[in-house]
This record gives sequence, structure tokens and C-alpha cells, in this order.
Amino acid sequence: MSELDPAEVFRQEAADLIETLEQALLDLEKRPDDSELVGLAFRALHTLKGSGAMFGFTAVSEFIHEFETAFDRVRKGEATADRRLIAAALEARDHVAQLIDDPDCDPERGTAILSALKAAVCEGAGVETGASEHLAAPIVETGSAQPVAAGWHVCFRLPADALILGTNPLLLLDELRSLGPCDVTADTSALPPIDFIEPQSCYLSWDVTLKAGVSREAVDDVFLFVRDDMELSIEAIASESPVAAAIMAPVIAETTTVIEAAQPMAAASEASAPKPKAAAASSDRANAAKSERNATLRVPAERLDELMDRVGELVIAQARLSQLAEAIHDPSLVNVAEEIERLTASLRDTTMGTRMVPIGTLFGRFRRLVHDLSEELGKPISFVTEGEDTELDKTVIEQLADPLVHLIRNSIDHGMEPPEKRAETGKAATGTLRLAASHRGAEVAITVSDDGAGLNAERIRRRAEEAGLLSVGQVISEGELNRMIFQPGFSTASEVTALSGRGVGMDVVKKTIDGLRGSIDVDTTPGKGTTVTLRLPLTLAIIDGLLVRVGEDRYTIPLAAVEECLELPTGVAADGRGRSFLNLRGDLVPFLKLRDLFHTEGEVDPYQKVVVVSSDNTRVGLVVDQIIGNNQTVIKQLSRLHSGVKTFSGATILGDGTVALILDVMHLVAYGQKLEERRRAETLGRAA
Amino acid sequence: MSAGETMTGMNALTIRLQDEMFALEATHVREILDPVPITRVPNAGDFVGGLINVRGSVVPLADLRVSFGMQRPPADADTRIVVMEIDLDGEPLVAGILADKVYDVTDITAASIEDAPKVGMRWPAEYVRGIGRRGEDFVIIPDMNRIIRAEGDRNSSLASTERTDR
Amino acid sequence: MSKTILMVDDSASVRQMVGMTLKQAGYSVVEACDGQEALQKATANRVDAVITDLNMPGMDGLTFIRQYRASPASSGVPIVFLTTESDEGLKAQAKQAGATGWMVKPFKPDQLLAIMRKVAGA
Repeated sequence: MSELDPAEVFRQEAADLIETLEQALLDLEKRPDDSELVGLAFRALHTLKGSGAMFGFTAVSEFIHEFETAFDRVRKGEATADRRLIAAALEARDHVAQLIDDPDCDPERGTAILSALKAAVCEGAGVETGASEHLAAPIVETGSAQPVAAGWHVCFRLPADALILGTNPLLLLDELRSLGPCDVTADTSALPPIDFIEPQSCYLSWDVTLKAGVSREAVDDVFLFVRDDMELSIEAIASESPVAAAIMAPVIAETTTVIEAAQPMAAASEASAPKPKAAAASSDRANAAKSERNATLRVPAERLDELMDRVGELVIAQARLSQLAEAIHDPSLVNVAEEIERLTASLRDTTMGTRMVPIGTLFGRFRRLVHDLSEELGKPISFVTEGEDTELDKTVIEQLADPLVHLIRNSIDHGMEPPEKRAETGKAATGTLRLAASHRGAEVAITVSDDGAGLNAERIRRRAEEAGLLSVGQVISEGELNRMIFQPGFSTASEVTALSGRGVGMDVVKKTIDGLRGSIDVDTTPGKGTTVTLRLPLTLAIIDGLLVRVGEDRYTIPLAAVEECLELPTGVAADGRGRSFLNLRGDLVPFLKLRDLFHTEGEVDPYQKVVVVSSDNTRVGLVVDQIIGNNQTVIKQLSRLHSGVKTFSGATILGDGTVALILDVMHLVAYGQKLEERRRAETLGRAA
Repeated sequence: MSAGETMTGMNALTIRLQDEMFALEATHVREILDPVPITRVPNAGDFVGGLINVRGSVVPLADLRVSFGMQRPPADADTRIVVMEIDLDGEPLVAGILADKVYDVTDITAASIEDAPKVGMRWPAEYVRGIGRRGEDFVIIPDMNRIIRAEGDRNSSLASTERTDR
Repeated sequence: MSKTILMVDDSASVRQMVGMTLKQAGYSVVEACDGQEALQKATANRVDAVITDLNMPGMDGLTFIRQYRASPASSGVPIVFLTTESDEGLKAQAKQAGATGWMVKPFKPDQLLAIMRKVAGA
């Protein structure tokens, strides 16, 4: 940890704190009297301010200081966390996030937010928050300037328990000496008889003449921590009179011995602290307490990626070992190979597990979005989340943020009716938006559902036809029609509101989900609401693949995309350009001869096979020479040198150590579709 | 190389491509492999037409002979793969370089390096950083970054599936 | 032998900053992120001084100071608490609980070192 850039550590931590603050504020809106929430928000502010200032984020901590001052009134019960205050506090939270990125951003806005916040906390009470005290409270409380004296005469006696409480008089004397030459006399008159001495108590007092023209504050400062509880007198010495010096002289000799005597006493107090026994017992107790807490560790993402790579290599090496063991037929080797296989599998699962993050971390972010949209559109909404514990690969979760924003926005903006309209149709004025996640086999399903008006099939068809996505009168299934809203170009300018009009439409959703090898389903009932379901694979690192052979080369097809495998019926003519069509139970499915597509040489297997793959409910057949079987596929990205090769989504290493390319099914299907369209056009052309 | 830019000397791994000697920056060389099975990447172009497995990593295999317009005889007993880490626009790229033979590591002094002649060369001048001298022999110092960038771009523009749809 | 300082703060950045500063000055540093952990570490090891934040989730700084002072292990160990507010009430409470000194956040590394020299020595 220590080699990380401190500012970066602060930024990471600030992001978490800001998140905590936001959640607390949003919860507070619902439970304004919950003092725990107030405390939580306050603590987040407090920590942000403190560490912000230390790491040079001065603008941040100055702003938060004001924020905190205002919010302190809530903590003290002088103001209520009403909606206005929460709204202002949320804006302030946004400003803090901005200031962390750019300390110079928009100071006017900061001032405006703060005055709104102050107004919100002072509402009704008529209390004016005065200019708050200056933030950078100096470490030393400076007194009024005094003329510098020639020296100081200091007398002090510590409270009896000072030693126990960690004050070391020797250090105080050292500090005085660091200001200038000192004459020190210890007063031992309060020492009780030896039998009554408590070794940890402080019986001495000291008399020090500091012969240096330092400021009074500097002397004061030595006793900063103890002066409230001690007897202390500090007197200026106007000028060093020879008489005073003469009086002092004989005392000095005595002084040193007393100081030496004080030394073992301090040592004794250390030794008397019983260590090991008590320590063992209490550490057990504390360990138990600790294990109950959910200890987490921050690990840079690339280190996890590296770990995943290593495990991937191990999976490959293990496959090779298993192959060898089988070939050699040595039972003891087979045993070891099997054990390694088991261990590898569990290591792989554990490693993949470390990359899994509960989706709740993502859901939390949307509460704010819903809150803001609801305010802005005047549609009261209750936001319900379910399955926050559902875990997904971290990279998947990160990429889901944008699509979900669009879906939620769309639901509230277009799906939810205004409250008056809801009342007319007998619905509760407050709409419900539900965001849920659950595991379904090797997939995770995420649903966004609203109890709004539902999709209007007529309007979607009209718009799709206008946008040229659908030919007039074309028959398509209900599901396909609903999914039209995710087509690029479906969203039209006339529909864009201030909120959804960010220049990106629902097609972003489709694009992202496709990229994650996921799928989208839309289910809608007019008048009742709409549910959009996103299905995503659990991880992007290792998939199940179907290994096939084309000529001499082997390729892997993601098993999730495979619908069926069949023999290529003889007599199905290919047109020599690697494309043709297959009648699959009445449906015309285009097929691609991979041999042609890949310019494969060598002998063609007399019994060609077709692997029917689908993406987005569209199918395409891939003609191969042989289907070899299933395999665990560790996905390796192709280098930049192959970024232009679209037919493959990556590569994997097979048990024998050779590299096999992974087919990009989405791309191949899109390619097949294009061929299909061309065929139609050609047919039409010929007919004309 | 551009005028005014002078090459410093280099610690070079010398290899043979067809009949010419080439110098690769020795500090960028990770390892030298005997030929391994090569997986063909359909539609990727001849320069980076293959992938190899280097200790569990999938590494592209580049054939400089393509860039220099040379013939490409099949691998023989002398053929090696030089695995290099090349800095490409700030990102390290690990690639295998096919060599017809690997000679040795040698120092090429700055004094012995000359700019590539602009004309009269059989190969693209922009791919050559300089010509070094090693005894009686000339050593070509290829500009790996430029070659990879140029060939990579060509690959990107050609190797879409549309290419196969002639 | 270098002195061991226990640093208690829920903010990783503060812990890091304090840790780095103290280590550079030759102290050994033990870190804890709340009172509970601090109590465990402070009683399991001999420490020469404790720096603790007051405002922390779980066991807060005041409770930690009280419980630590209740243990004989704390005898003679100076405790410095961190505070952002110049809240005299809180300061008094912390001193009452057994704190030795305080430090006002934000602080600079040299201020931190001055305080450590003051309470724990070099």
C-alpha cells in the first residue's frame, strides 16, 4: 500500500465516503429523525475534510468545512433533514465530487450551494449562520503578542497521574532545553517516605530558568497538553541580574542528580506494565470480534487480472498433464494428475470468485438518479431494489452502469404516468420502479420493471416504420417489436426530453449488452407496466466452448451461443462464395462455410457438419469439417496487431499447447444476416 | 530515419532473413524459441498471419520478410522465433519475430551506423532506421515500431470479413 | 530500538500519510482502522505512543481511550487524539478519558513529528 500515491489513495477513499454520504442523505430523506444516519453523514464529511486538507485538497476541505458546519445544526437537532435540506446537501455532495477532480471548478456555484444549504438549515429558526471560524485552526493557540523577554522562569508540578497517562516530564524538560540553555531544579519536598511511594505517581515539581529570549508562546507551547491540569507559572526575566545568576549557580549541581534519579522511575513504570498474559487473553477476544467484521482488502484490478491469467495458464498446463498421464498409463501419475485437476478447478473458481462484486454496489448509485428524476418530472416514485447480493464479474458490473441508467431513465421518463393520470386509471399516485438481480444458472438476470403505462405497440411500429427499421406491414413477433426500442435510430429527436436527451439512446443498452455476450428481453402489458430483463454471463474470463475443426485448424465456438449441431444435408448447394441457406424446420437459415470464409486448404471432410449458432434470436449455420467436443476455454485477448480481425473475439490455448481462435458469433451472425438481406434484394431484383 | 536524428550505438541480436543480416535491439528480446506450432489467423494478412503460445500467453507472430518483400521459404533447422517486447505508443506489445537464423548478440557502435540511403535500396526506406557494419557485412537495423504500426494499420483496414466477400 | 506508534484512523489516506511520516522519522508504525482493532493491537503489543482519531465507525476514539486506559498495558503510554473541530467539550472529554494530548486536523508532517517528539520523544 505504501508505494501508492497518497493523493490517489485519498481519491479512492473519497469516492467511497461520498458514496456513503449520498446513501445516508437519501435514507435520511425517508427517516429524517434517524440520528444514526445523521452521524454517518457527518462522519463521512468529517473524514473527507480532515484527509482532504492533509493531502492538499484545500478547496475540498474548505468547502466541506462549511458544509459540515451547516450540517452540524442537523446533528445538534437544531434543524430537520427535510426535503429541501437533503436536496441542497445532495448538490453539495456533487460539488465535493467535482472539487476533488478539479479544485478550481465553479467557485460561484459552491458559494450558491452553501448559501442554499445554510438557508435550509436555518429555515424557520431565523438563525443566521455567522461566518464560520477559519478552517486551518493553528496547532498552537496564539496569545496576544508580548514583548520578548530575556528569559523565563518556569515552575511546574504535574498531576500525580501524569506518568500513567503518558506525560513524560523528561520530555518536557528536553523541550524546554531545546529552546535555550536551562537551569533545572527539581523540588523533591513532596516525595513521601519510600514505603509509601507509588512508583507510577509523579511527586516532583520543577523549577526552570530558561536563559533565552524566546516568545512566551513558545514556552506555553511546551505545556500545551498538560497546562490545564497542572500547576504552572511562567514569569519573564527582565534582565539577567548577576545576583540571580549567583543564586542559581549552586543549584545546578543538585539538579543533575535529581534528573538522573527520575530516569529509572520512568523505566520502572514501563516495566511494571504487565504485558504477555493480559495481551494473550485480550488478543483472542479481539480476534474473535475481528473475524465477525467483514474484513476487505483493496487489490489493484490489474493484479486480479494477472492472477486470472496465471490460473488460466495453470488450467492449460493441467490439461496437458492430464493428457500425458492418460497416454503413459501410470496409475500413480494419473492419481497426481487427477488431484492437480481438482485443485486447479477449485483454484479457478476461487480466483473467479475474487473478481465477483455484489451488484448492490451498482444499484446504490441509481437511488440518486431516481430521486432526481422523480423531483424533476414531478412523478413520485418508490424505488425498490432486490438481490443486491447477486455477484457478477467486476468488469461486467462496471459496464452495466450506463445501460441501466438508460433503462431507468426511460422507465421514469416514458413509462411512468404523471400522478394525475395514474389517479384516473385507479393506480396509486406513487409509481414503483423495481431493480432486481438474480442468478439463473450460469447467467445473471437483471430486471428493470415499472408499473407504468407499458409500451405502446402501435407507436413503436409507427416509429420503427418511420425510421426505416421496419417495412410497412412487415410481420414480426411481439418480442421483436418491443426490442425495436433498442435499435439505433429508433429514438427520435421529438421524443428527447431534457433528461433523456444526452445524445445517446437505448441502442447503447443493446450495444453494451451484446458486447458482454448478454441478451435483452422486453415484457410489457399495456396499462400495467414494462419489464426489461438483461441476461449476462457470469464471467468474461473463462467460458465453455465447442471445439471444431476446419481443415487442419481448430476453432472454439462459445457454447452458450450454440443452438444445435447437425450434418450438412447433401445436395444443399453452396454458391461458391461461402454462403447459402439451410431449411431448418421451415425456417430459412443462412449458413457460412468456414472453409471458404477462412480460405482453408486441404481435403474436405465428406460429411460436413453445421453448428447452428444464434445471437439475438437470429440464427446462422457454421459449416465445419468436424465437431471435436466441449472444452473449458480461457479467453485471451488478441493483440493490437489483430484488432482489425473481426471474425474472432479472442484466442485460447488447447490442452496440447496450441492456440485456437474463438469465433465471434455476434459478428458472424450479423454477417450472415447481411447475406440474407442481399439474397432478398437479389431475388427482388430478378423478379422485377 | 528523419534527418538530424542520429542513431546511438546498440546492443544487437543479429538474425538472418533470407540473405540479409538484421539487427534487433537486444534489450527488447525476451527469449528465442525453436519453431513451435503456429495457428493461422484467417484474413489477418501475411505479416501477422499467425499466433503462437509463449508460456501460456497468446502472442502474434510477425514475419519481417513480408515487410521487406522477401521470399518465405518454409521453416528449416535454423529457423527460430525471437520473442520481443516492443513499445508501441507507450504500450508494450509482445510479439514473436520469425528469423531464418539467429546469429549472436553484438555491439554496433554509433560510428559504424549510417543512415539508410533514400534510393537504391531493395526495401522500403521508411522501414530501415540505419545500416550498421559488422566486419565486412552490412546489418540492416529495422524500425520495428514503424513496421508494426504500418502493417498493423494495413491489417485493420483489410481484414474485415467484407474482404472475404468478393 | 525505534519507538512503536499505534495509529488509529478509519481513513486509509490519513493512516498512510501519518505512517509514512513517522516511518521516515524512524518510528515503527502499527495501524488500526477502528477502536476495536486498536484495542487489540495496543494490548497485544507494547506500543510507545498512540495516535487516534475520535470519530470512527464501530468503536469510536473516546471509547477506545477509556477501555485502553482501563488496561494496565496503557500505563505510561501517551495517547494523542486527532480532532477536526476545536470543540473544547470534546477535548475535555478525551482528556478525561485519559488522553495525553491532541492534534488538530489538518496537520502537516512536521507538526505531527513535533507532537510525537513532545509526547514520545525522538
